[in-house]
Amino acid sequence: MKASSQKMGIILITPSVFLICALLVYPVLYGVWLSFFKKHSFFPDQRFVGLANYLYLLKDSEFWMSLWYGTYYSVSTIVLQIVVGLIAALILNEAFRGRNIVRGVVLFPYMIPTVVAIILWKWLLNNQFGLVNYLLLAVGIIDDPLSWMGKDHIMTSLIIISVWEFFPFVVLSVLARLQTIPPVLYEAAKVDGAGAWSRFIHVTLPQLRNVLFVVILLRSIWMFTKFDTVWLLTQGGGAEKYIRTLPVFAYMRTFMYYQAGLGSTLAVIMFGILIASTTIYFKMFRREEGI
Amino acid sequence: MKPKNSFFSLRGQVIYWCAAVLLILTAFPFFWMVSTSFKPLREIFVSPPNFLPKNFTLANFVQLFEQTRFLIYFRNSVFVSTLTVIFTMAIATAGAYSLTRFRFYGREKIASLILFTYMFAPIMIIIPFYVLIKRIGIANTHLALILAYTAFCLPFSLWLLRAFFQSIPLVLEEAALVDGATRFRAVFHVILPLALPGIIATAIFTFILAWNDYIFVRILITSDNLKTLSVGIADLYNATVIDWGMIMSGGMLITIPVLVFFIFIQRYLIAGWGAGAVKG
Repeated sequence: MKASSQKMGIILITPSVFLICALLVYPVLYGVWLSFFKKHSFFPDQRFVGLANYLYLLKDSEFWMSLWYGTYYSVSTIVLQIVVGLIAALILNEAFRGRNIVRGVVLFPYMIPTVVAIILWKWLLNNQFGLVNYLLLAVGIIDDPLSWMGKDHIMTSLIIISVWEFFPFVVLSVLARLQTIPPVLYEAAKVDGAGAWSRFIHVTLPQLRNVLFVVILLRSIWMFTKFDTVWLLTQGGGAEKYIRTLPVFAYMRTFMYYQAGLGSTLAVIMFGILIASTTIYFKMFRREEGI
Repeated sequence: MKPKNSFFSLRGQVIYWCAAVLLILTAFPFFWMVSTSFKPLREIFVSPPNFLPKNFTLANFVQLFEQTRFLIYFRNSVFVSTLTVIFTMAIATAGAYSLTRFRFYGREKIASLILFTYMFAPIMIIIPFYVLIKRIGIANTHLALILAYTAFCLPFSLWLLRAFFQSIPLVLEEAALVDGATRFRAVFHVILPLALPGIIATAIFTFILAWNDYIFVRILITSDNLKTLSVGIADLYNATVIDWGMIMSGGMLITIPVLVFFIFIQRYLIAGWGAGAVKG
């Protein structure tokens, strides 16, 4: 019974493990291998070049620019997502009429295809006919229409769109946790004379610590590697190079310049940066009780 | 259950206003998309803009169906997403059941592997993945897409389903087994019915992930006839003259299935296991 049952367990998990290894883990390792080659994206020929791809990138100003844009983009969107998401979750945890509807609608932006988020905002932010410029002009905040997709504002537009699209993830996770905080804690704090702010700092935040740890980790990984939102925004405008983050740079190298070796090198560098920063993050913030 | 905040208290005022702002910020862009898609061309560019269409028209939809391959893209999206769901759920349900009901060597290692790969983003694997797919000779097929999505959805499906199976007490199964049921019967008559809500919710997340994807289609598919909706709509935008009415009507139509499914699973999401349910 024992032995056969063990066998059964292994049989059932094998397809999952096989697919994950073959289609997720193996490509990553193969990517590391490719990063030592000069390889054309379409033709099979490849030539071993050792560390040449890495050395090339170290001297490439475009690479450093994309690393800077990528970091700037991820840090600012993560901070804003967490702040907006936390505030929204606190509001949605209050009891008010129509709460369930608002809770549902707030999650919409996260569920829709990215391409829809992009076309929506490109239309809203259109410099000639967009509603945002119209309203800003009507209220008198600006005197001339802003060129949201122009080089001066495209990073701001990208950040606004990304925060709009991804803050619901923070709401979802934080709200789920808020609902499990025992009301007794708040009552005790009230009896001790704690005001609303002090209850937030001393009761709510410590309870949210673990969920925020995970949310910041996941959002950082996914914002740093975000491709489609950034790439789709660059389409059809001339200011593409002002939001060329690392993932977009890797994509362009591979599929527009056909340098699959260099593209893989960039993917490996991204992977390396992520592993290094998550290790530091875990060392700094992880508590004994785990995540 | 907390008492409702009265609209007339100061605290209630703050909450209602904040909730209203939140609602407008998230819902208004959708409203604007819907409104634009029912406006005739000249009304779209009118200033000041009309919030609701004055001359309601379906012309944008007619144009979308007649002048673009929207319906082909739609069919492709349905096909690829549905098959992804079937494969992923078959494999992940078996896997999650194994992880929660059997003890074997390496089980915890497998769980860590799943959690680790859950954090992967497409751009990290797409380049080598593409080279491999080309080498096997299945580039530009729906099979390549389905494989990519299944692999990509497996970690989070396994993770979610594992949590679901863990919440079903072992005792129930043991009771069925003691009563003489085979394991097969115990699973089908006791466990699966209880796990069904979780399985449906996970299936819907998988569907949405496949439906929404852009990067894999962009890279793996080159024939126009095999493209799915995300890329199809993005290409409409890249056409020389941007027809906002038509693009908005297309955007609305690809959003509807997602929102219908989403409304269906919403209560599970908010009920408490939201964290880690989705990715991207």
